[in-house]
Order: sequence, then structure tokens, then C-alpha cells
Amino acid sequence: MFRNRQALAVLLAASGLRLLAAHEETPLPKDLPPYGAERPIPAPAVTQRTLPNGLDVWVLNRPGFPKVTACMVIRGGNAHDAADRQGLTGFMAGLLNEGTRTRSSRQIAEELQAIGGELGAYANLDATFVQGSCLTNGLPALVHLMADITRRPVFPDHEVELAKTNALQGLQAQEAQPAFQANRAFNAALFGNHPYRYASLTAETVKGIQPETLRALHAERFQPGRALLILGGDIQEAAAMKLVAAAFGDWKGGAGTLAPLPAAPQASAHEFLLLPRPGSVQATLRVGRPAVPATHADSIPLQLANVILGGSFDSRITKNIREDKGYTYSPGARASAQQVGGSYTVRADVRSDVTAASLMEILYEMDRMGTTQVGEAELGRAKRFMGGTYLFQNQMLAALTGTLAGYWVNGLTPMALAEFIPKVNAVTAGDVRRIGRTYFAAKDQTIVVVGDEAKVKAELEQFGPVRILKK
Amino acid sequence: MRPRSLISFLVGATLLAGPGAAGKRPVWNVPVDVKTLANGLTVVVSEDHALPTVGVSMVYRVGMRLEPKGRTGFAHLFEHMMFEGTPVARKGVFDRVIQGGGGMNNGSTRYDYTNYIESAPVSALEPILWLEADRLKALDFSPQNLKNQQDVVKEEIRVNVKNRPYGTFWLDLPAAAYSRWENSHDGYGSFEDLDHADLKDVQAFHSTYYTPSNAVLGIAGDVKAADAFALAERYFGGIPSAPKPALPDLKEPLNTKEVRLVKTDALARVPAIALAWKMPERGSKDHAAAAVLSELLVGGEASRVYLGLVKGRELLLRASGGLNSALGGPWDFDGQPLFSIFALYKPNADSDRILAAMDEIIDAVATQGVAPAELDRTKTKMLSDYYAELEVPLSRADAIAKMQALWGQAAQINEIPKWVEGVTAEDLKRVARTYLTRPNRTVIDYHTAPAKN
Repeated sequence: MFRNRQALAVLLAASGLRLLAAHEETPLPKDLPPYGAERPIPAPAVTQRTLPNGLDVWVLNRPGFPKVTACMVIRGGNAHDAADRQGLTGFMAGLLNEGTRTRSSRQIAEELQAIGGELGAYANLDATFVQGSCLTNGLPALVHLMADITRRPVFPDHEVELAKTNALQGLQAQEAQPAFQANRAFNAALFGNHPYRYASLTAETVKGIQPETLRALHAERFQPGRALLILGGDIQEAAAMKLVAAAFGDWKGGAGTLAPLPAAPQASAHEFLLLPRPGSVQATLRVGRPAVPATHADSIPLQLANVILGGSFDSRITKNIREDKGYTYSPGARASAQQVGGSYTVRADVRSDVTAASLMEILYEMDRMGTTQVGEAELGRAKRFMGGTYLFQNQMLAALTGTLAGYWVNGLTPMALAEFIPKVNAVTAGDVRRIGRTYFAAKDQTIVVVGDEAKVKAELEQFGPVRILKK
Repeated sequence: MRPRSLISFLVGATLLAGPGAAGKRPVWNVPVDVKTLANGLTVVVSEDHALPTVGVSMVYRVGMRLEPKGRTGFAHLFEHMMFEGTPVARKGVFDRVIQGGGGMNNGSTRYDYTNYIESAPVSALEPILWLEADRLKALDFSPQNLKNQQDVVKEEIRVNVKNRPYGTFWLDLPAAAYSRWENSHDGYGSFEDLDHADLKDVQAFHSTYYTPSNAVLGIAGDVKAADAFALAERYFGGIPSAPKPALPDLKEPLNTKEVRLVKTDALARVPAIALAWKMPERGSKDHAAAAVLSELLVGGEASRVYLGLVKGRELLLRASGGLNSALGGPWDFDGQPLFSIFALYKPNADSDRILAAMDEIIDAVATQGVAPAELDRTKTKMLSDYYAELEVPLSRADAIAKMQALWGQAAQINEIPKWVEGVTAEDLKRVARTYLTRPNRTVIDYHTAPAKN
């Protein structure tokens, strides 16, 4: 059992409580009041239990607000699907609430509506999630329904048929989205034959699905020894455990363990890839490379470096290509980390005639992170921003339970919540520069562009050879 | 942005039993304190001391409907200008100070208001209020900043509208359904109008609409109401008052002849349909019933459109919508909203079949009404979603500021659940019969273009 109420004097150690301005930056207004004193942040109180059948149960008590959240995570995600069944786990998850031994999809929907509830499932690369919420007094019904759809789904023939038809048409609709095309091409370029390339369901997978396929996958994957249930809200631990024991205590599963994934690639080729999209009025850019798994020591420094480079309004890429040059509305960047690998991505949609200019600025800013050292003021702001984001997410139970579920998948405990900010604050300017050299060097990035070939090919060729992708 | 969170209300919150048949629905009372400064700025505060954070929302009572004719998209372009610096806090300072204080910020332009929001550790509250007051006083009206944001806004329109399938539907519906320019024009703006905007327009808009009496400051979180009022007085109290701008009459009668259009969407691979009906004005006796009816028809997987047309007849791939759903929700508008539905449809469907099936669903409500159990479930789900929208201080600050700006009373936030409770099956019949009629309906059918390659 873990109950951490220690005060995290989180936000700000070194950079102090004053606004700091680096010499190269616009001076701050003389009348601007200083930040006030920091107030300690109570860490969330999480109780950890394990049922005799192996199901882990974490209970997060938050009194006051009249809603509760439930999140179950089960090891095994889309990356665990066979190469000819990409996205099968996610498809199976989507059908959990379409019928159980005793309830039709309609009954499930109406019972949820009656408690002000939602309950749905999806899969990411590493795991499958069943998430729900409802008004506080509906918690017993929510836990009961969650047990029913996770333990006793039947994948009714007509529901599977409808879901297949809709998935095929949904994929067709998604094909029209430049972001969908760009992400798929980018993941494929980064991860090669590793299953982390499986960004989405494929039409081939859908066509091969039979109800029996889903039943078999469900039976294999959904076992209490591979699962964690998190309940959060205005709930008492003893009462919550009673509900959980009643709903999940007799859940039995095989002893088989999930085959681990091989380590994902740590690098990809530096090349310029163009996916033609006739009539596109913008170029959809992805610049990045494989990075590190979630538990790697570089993961937190990489997130911090990302805040400085591209992950915020105050970031260098946003200031450069949006606020200075007006090339784009939507620049962004993200370090994404999973169990056996990760990636770093800068993205932007820019008007076609500034494709080369935008890429040049992005690559310049990426290189600059490794060739020059970040000033203490800019570093301090980034740390405070990460602290504030942490605080903000701690307010949102859905985000917090999602974070905890991700920790569990990666072998971490709720303690990682308390360790996060101190680790952020320990990052130095030298660390950021090393991260820049290691992950942001322009010569190591893969560049994917979705756009009108007639307008952007010549732009890209200014950098060198361009490989044209087929869908 | 609609974040969801769980937060404790240790002060002022009460959990009471609800009325009547809905006795099991929890009632959550949001604490609200209101004070108007001498210059006309209204400050609304909701205390919540669970975590040391604060949400701030500055709501200005001007949106797309009030932008100048010949300047489509100007209210939104102006919103962007509010982040471009002032004579005192030059460009970049705003983001740098808020982010450096651990905070996030954003802004958005809607039909009837523009909001500017921040969420931060409470230690950043004073700099945030100072910065908000500073940009209410004056902006950096420079040609470079204007040109920069004209370019950025055009890229926003490219990414959200021109380069995206069905990107225009939420602009096409008001254009076809409404007759007054204020209600019907493209609030994102034509590139011509955006390019023609000049610094005089920016200055005039700022001096007309960005005044204390036309603004509401909402603060929610770890601050005492009295302290928040004192801070507001310190940073905003010295700003001179100005007359409150007049609001034009935006009302329109219901339509008397159905509008049906067919459009070709060159980027779409799957056909789609958009429907809209003009609905009762804000605060009218039919408003809450219209909101409940909207939830009953399209509010999720137990709704009649989902169960009837996505499941059931299997005509639609998916459907979404609701009262004022394009740019807000059922309670944050002025004037007269649309109830709209957007759906991708399947190869076995066409607009006539979809409309006939939709008519059956509406006729069933209008003639047979709704069973008590279904009405009760629908209200429960609405209430649950309503509370979810108020979970974090940021969204609560925004909600009370919008209530004050649009309804004239922030405390309305605690009245709306009671309004919902009061809606009867008879109300739903009346509203369905009155508003969801064929003559009052606007339909746009989006066909796909032949593939180019």
C-alpha cells in the first residue's frame, strides 16, 4: 500500500521566484508584479492492492466532485498483433461494449446513460484500455458494467459485421486527412519492420476478421494477471475494494505471459520523403526520428528540451515559423515514449510555397539545440511550464488515471508521480545540449511531407534527393 | 479545449438530493461571488482550494456576429492581435511570463463572445492579471504584427477548412440557414477581407469593444473571493470606463421554406450530410427543452439518431451535433442558435432516405412523446456532462465568466441543472413540433468528387 502525502515543493527550486530575463530577450515591463510564493502540492493518494487472481487494483481518493472515473489497462496492444493483422487489438477493443452474454449493445448504452456514464475501450501500441466515468452514485453500476464488457463480451455476428463495414468506410474517410497519411508514412519510415510502425488498422485486417478471431484474441489477452484497474473519485477504499472483489474476484485466466516486443530501432535514415496529395493547399510536415522508451534516463530531459524547442507557445520553433515568419498556424513537437521505444516529432502544416523555408528553419532550430547552450532563464521557464502542466494534469482525473495506467504498463509505480518534478528540476543546461546533439541533429532526422507534388517537390529537392512515396 | 478533471470543492460546495423522480441525481452547487468595479468591469470568482492552481478567463462581449461588415473574420483576427504585445509588454512577453510561471494560455472567438484563458499555479495569478489588464489598455498596433497574424490566420483557415474534408460544413450551415448578415456570414473570413483589414480597424475594434464594461473577468481556484476582488481592483481599477457598446437585434423568425443544397467536396472520400434547424433564443421558455431534446436525439450511443440510424437502419457511419454545437454548447450563446447534425453516410444511403428516417424519429417525439425512463436517463447524462465541463478551475472560470457576460448573471450556472430537471415530455413534444419542422430545416448534402489519381 502506498499513500504518499508528502508535500512536493515542486515548482521551483533553482530559478527562484523572480521573473528572469535573459539579455537577448525583450525586457520585461517594469511594473509587472513578481510571481507569488509557491505553495506545496499534495501528491495524489493512491492505494495499491492485488487480488488473489493477480488483478492489480489502485484506488485514488478525491473527495468533493460528484463524478468518478474507472480505468482498466490490460497488457498487449496493437504492436502485439501479427504483421498481417495490424490494428486487430484496437478493433476488438472497440467491440467490447457491443454485447455481452446478458446485455445487448443497446442495453449497455442505456444503462450507462442512466448513471450519466460513458464506457469505451481502445488500444495503443503496448496495451488495451477500458475507460469509463459516471456520477458518483453510479459507481457500483459502472464497475459491474465494466466487468461485464471486459469479461463476457460475445462479439455478436451482426455487430461484428456492422463494425467491419463501418471500419472500412471510416478508413476511407481517414485517407482524406493529410495528418493521417503523414503519421502513417512517418511511423513506417521510423520503425521499419518493428511493430511500432502499426499506427492504424488496415483494410486487409478488417476484411479477414470473423467473430471467432475476436473471441480468440480476447480470450488470449484478457487475463486478470495482466491487468490493472484504477478507480478514482470521491470513493472510500474499503467500499471500492468490495465492489471490485464482487465484480472481478472470480475472474480466472490462463497463466500464459505476453511475449515481449523486441527493442524498437533507435535511428532512422536521414531522407526527404514526399507523399503526393493532389490539390493539397498546404504541405503537412513531419520531422523526427526514433527516440527512447518511457523509462529511459533521457526521457524526462528530452521532454524538457522539447518544451524549449517546439512543445509550447513560448518555444523556439513556434516563435520562429509562426510568430516571426507567419508560415504556419499549427507548429508543434512531441516526444512520444512507449515500452520498448519512442519517437520525436516536429509537425507543422505550412503553405506550399514556404515548404523549403519552413523546413530550413525547423532544422536550424533543431541543430541549435545541440550546438549552443540554453540560457538559465529559458531553461527555468521550461521547468516551470512542465511543473504547471503536471499540476494541471493532476487536476484532471481522466488524465491522472491515464498517466498511472501508463506507468503500470512500463513497470513504474504511482511513486513516479512524486519523482517527476524533482527529475525535471535536476536537468541542467548541459543535459539539454547533450539531448540536442543526440536527438535533434538535423543530419539524423527523417522528413515526411504530404502535399501537392507539383508545388512542393522542387522545394524539397533544394535539400537533396527526394523519395516519392506510394500510399 | 474542454479539459476534464476531478477537483475537490472544499469550500462552498454542497451535495444535495435532487428533486422529485430525479432524487438520486447529485446536485453540485458551484460557489459564485460577483463584484462590479466602478469602471464597469465585472469580476466573478469561484473559490476552490483543493490544489494551488487558478483558472482565469477574460470574456469580451463581442464575437463574429458583431464584426464590421466587409471585414469577415475580423473578430478572430483581432483575437490573435491580443497576443502580439503592447506598448509596455512587447511581443513575446505574454507567453514568456505565463509559461515561465508554469501556466498555459489560449483564446477563442465564438459567435457572441471572445475569451482569453489561462491556467497556472496560483503563484502566477498577479502577473497574469497584470498582463490581461495591460492588453485591455492598449495594443502594439504595428503593421508587422498585423501582417504576421494575417498570415497565421490564413494558415489556420487552410489547415482547418480548406485542406480538410467537410471543413466548411459549420460555415455553410449558418450561411444557408440564417438571413441576417450578422448570423450568416463566414466568421473565419474571406482572405480578401482579412487582407484588407488595417490598423485603423484594429484600433477601432479595440476602443469600441475592449472596454471594462464590455468585459467579465472570471477567476476560479485557490484564491479567496475578497482577495481576488482586491487584485482585480489593483490591476484593472485604473482603466477608464467607456460606454457599453450597443448590441444589435440578432433575432430572426423561423424559416418558412426548407433549404436544400448539394455541394461537392473535392477532398472528401465519403459522402456526408449536414442538417440544421433554427432554435429558440437564449433564456426563452423553450431553451432548456431544446437542450434536452438535442441530447435525446444526438447525445451519444443511447441517443435516438445513433440507435436509429447508425445502428438500426445502418444509414449513417457516424453522427454528431447538438444545440449550438459548432462553436460551443447549449448554454453559451446569445441570440438564436442552430440545432445541427453532421453525419457521414453509407453507400446504401442517400439524402432522401436519411431525411425520411430523421423525420420519423422527430415525428415520434412530436406525436408520441418520450417515456419517463428515457427522459430521466437523458437528463442524468446531461447533468453528468454539465458537471464534467466544470471540473477544472480553468473551465469553471470560463463558464462563470461566460454566464455573466451573456446571461448577465454568473449564478445562472447553478440554475441550469434545475431548468433541465423541469423539462417534461410535453415540453419535448412542443419543441419538436415547433422547431424541428421541415420548413425550418436546412440541409446540405456533400458529395465526393471523382478521384484525381
